[in-house]
Amino acid sequence: MSTPLLRVADLAIRHEGEEVAAASGVSFEVRRGEVVLLLGPSGSGKSTLTLALNGLIPHDVPARVTGSVIVDGMDAATTPVAQLATRVGMVFQDPDAQLVTGTVLDEVAFGPENLRLPVADVLGRAETALRRVGLWERRHENPDALSGGGRQRLAIAAALALGSDLLVLDEPTANLDPQGIDEVYAALADVVAAGDRAILLVEHNLDHAIGFVDRVVVLDATGRTIADGPVADILRHRAADLHELGVWLPTSTLAALRLREAGYPLDPLPLTPAELRSALEGVPQPTHTPVVERGRAQRARDETPPAPDHVPPHSARSTTDPTEHPILTARGLSLRRGGVEVLRDVELDIQPGEFVAVVGANGTGKTTLLHALAGVVRPPRGTVHVRDDDIARLRPRELARRIGFVFQNPEHQFIAHTVREELAHGLRDLPADEADARIIDVLDRFGLTARADVHPFLLSGGQKRRLSVGTALVAGAPILALDEPTFGQDRARADELLELLAALNRDGTTIIVVTHDMQLVTEFATRTIVLGHGRVLADAPTAQVFAAPTLLEQAGLRLPPLREALSGLRSHPELAGTTRLAELARGPSTGEAASCPPGEATERTGSA
Amino acid sequence: MTTASLSLDPYADVAPASPVRFLHRLNPLVKLLAPAPAMIMLVFVRDAATPAAFLALAYGVILVGARMTGRLALMLFVAVPALTAAMTIGFAAWTDPARVAGTTAVLRLGDWTLHAGAVQIGAATGLRLAAIIALALVAGLTTTGPDLARSLVQQLRVPYRVGYTAIAAFRFVPRFARELEIIRQAHRVRAGHRSFLGLAYVVPLLAGAIRHAERVALAMDARAFGAHPDRTERHLVPVRARDVVFGVLFLAASTAVFWVFFPWGL
Repeated sequence: MSTPLLRVADLAIRHEGEEVAAASGVSFEVRRGEVVLLLGPSGSGKSTLTLALNGLIPHDVPARVTGSVIVDGMDAATTPVAQLATRVGMVFQDPDAQLVTGTVLDEVAFGPENLRLPVADVLGRAETALRRVGLWERRHENPDALSGGGRQRLAIAAALALGSDLLVLDEPTANLDPQGIDEVYAALADVVAAGDRAILLVEHNLDHAIGFVDRVVVLDATGRTIADGPVADILRHRAADLHELGVWLPTSTLAALRLREAGYPLDPLPLTPAELRSALEGVPQPTHTPVVERGRAQRARDETPPAPDHVPPHSARSTTDPTEHPILTARGLSLRRGGVEVLRDVELDIQPGEFVAVVGANGTGKTTLLHALAGVVRPPRGTVHVRDDDIARLRPRELARRIGFVFQNPEHQFIAHTVREELAHGLRDLPADEADARIIDVLDRFGLTARADVHPFLLSGGQKRRLSVGTALVAGAPILALDEPTFGQDRARADELLELLAALNRDGTTIIVVTHDMQLVTEFATRTIVLGHGRVLADAPTAQVFAAPTLLEQAGLRLPPLREALSGLRSHPELAGTTRLAELARGPSTGEAASCPPGEATERTGSA
Repeated sequence: MTTASLSLDPYADVAPASPVRFLHRLNPLVKLLAPAPAMIMLVFVRDAATPAAFLALAYGVILVGARMTGRLALMLFVAVPALTAAMTIGFAAWTDPARVAGTTAVLRLGDWTLHAGAVQIGAATGLRLAAIIALALVAGLTTTGPDLARSLVQQLRVPYRVGYTAIAAFRFVPRFARELEIIRQAHRVRAGHRSFLGLAYVVPLLAGAIRHAERVALAMDARAFGAHPDRTERHLVPVRARDVVFGVLFLAASTAVFWVFFPWGL
């Protein structure tokens, strides 16, 4: 066997000015042709570690580093980044933050140009790399014209063009929609297929990644290597341990862990939806019951049994009492943007207390619909009403008391100098003592009391997010609208937010989210609205929408992994309609947990 | 640059101009520097004829040499004339009446009199500014930022680390525009908060910008940026014979205008 491309030995990294080490005692090797997945709970220093592999730490980012990183025989601590760059190619999370030129071709040529290669070689390398990711035909275009998945493939090509044998990818799909994720993994599979490159992958979206990974390296919370071996050995045999540790697992594996406790003898553990399905087909019915816990949402769904393959639009308006007065309505809502019709004749009734997800492929008008419903952009008069008020006629302050809107990046909506003032801003109309009481209450509910006098920008990421939700709700709005709340966040932070939303929803807040995350939709939303080309394709209880694969396909969406595994299941009819992990009971004591999604959210990050 | 890479220009999507539109094919630095002496001299002239002549010269060069677009037409035929008119009126009204008391009165409103001398000073000032702007537009409307940056690196020996970082920064502009729009929306949602001169947008925009810039810098380093004292140039922005001709002709024309009008009245 050849010498490893990368050898990390006892690596410990502490960022300058930090007390706690980001990584401590990491050791592993990567050899040519291997695909290695780096796993670890949130905060175990995975991203920090990737920066050390091509010398960005310590050369660019000041940090104390002990131990060693040897890249192809060169010590990363003493070799310049520019030299290491020819051996280790990096692909980061945000595709926009790694593009520096005006055309696709220039972008890929950027690296080889820095290496002073002759023009002919630069173009040759660029062509090879672009063909490998399927972008050669689009080489004259501006990278901005590519989709998110396209830009990330471009970043991969740019890394390949440097001639690096090892590609390091840090959450490359966190900012992408489902189609973009598929594109990136297809491109990576192609890169690996030739067997001449190695890949080190940090990824929370294991459902997509697991298929082409050879080996898994696991770090614990302190950033120490605790497992290193083939995927099957580690994930199938030590899944329960890893789960305890807070390591992300594929949805199918998580589901299998639950099913195992519910009495299905699944051994070995499946890693993919297909494996889960075939494993389930081969095992007998568990002897004890009940198998599937019925949560509140599930009970509601049972009243309308899933239609097999076709959901007519507006088949079921809501999961709550239909006689109730809707809190938010849209009637004949059409919107044009720059001469293009973005929304066409949208009709919606949203009942108080619902958790509604708006889904659809890119560019179908999801965000525009949410903006119009929440009054962020003014809809035509008479089309959108909160209770009986026309949203187009409400003044901003009146609007803020009815609907709270949370933008993707919480920082965008901060306007004051302290957390307290931030909350007080929404309460300017109230008498001082009443406002103070409300502020204290919100600070307490969102865990921000200790940070009340801090500048909002100095909060941690999770605190910022909580404050943005707090400011949206402080004026007493009964409806909360969120645009892609989990986009670009790591899983732990995303789950923390979802837990918060579920809790608010239980307390009666109506929640509307636009999202790409189908597992989120199936876990949390009681109702799902599918948009396609500005029109409502389906509007029904979530389970019913996901029971119609043809419809999802038409809308350019993907089945969430659990649905994918269970939908074609023949032998266990009791599981066939399940879409939520929480419905797969773990034991008699979890009845309450099954009805409260946040329990599940905690579960997925293992912080419980 | 007769190789295939000519067609791989970053702005190749711009429709090819007819050969008459020569400005687009000139070196950016030459376009920038040739009108510069005239622009500086114009600051010190006080008459109306000299700036008018330069205005005509700049308009002539642009109308012949630049591809006509809606934006260009708006600039030349609406924005610049409007600004000139506004400046003329403004400066005419602002001029100390005592200085021009000897000239004929053009307009009387009550006991306020507008003298012809004031109008003349206003027009001279307006035309001067218009001429300077028009001369700047010669390069401004026909040069792309990245080409200027390349030219600075290739001709003026500006370190390429600076020049190419500038090129990367051009990608920031649309991103920040988008981000600013979102921030404005977000602030509007926050109970109708309106920002005084947009000051409230600065902090979130800056915070985002710094973070973005840090990431871009890491990504550039990760691709061997700065590995060597120089780097391969695929897009050459040479100084050709036509650039020299343009530069010499423009300077000659500028000299001629000053010679003929000699606005300093020795």
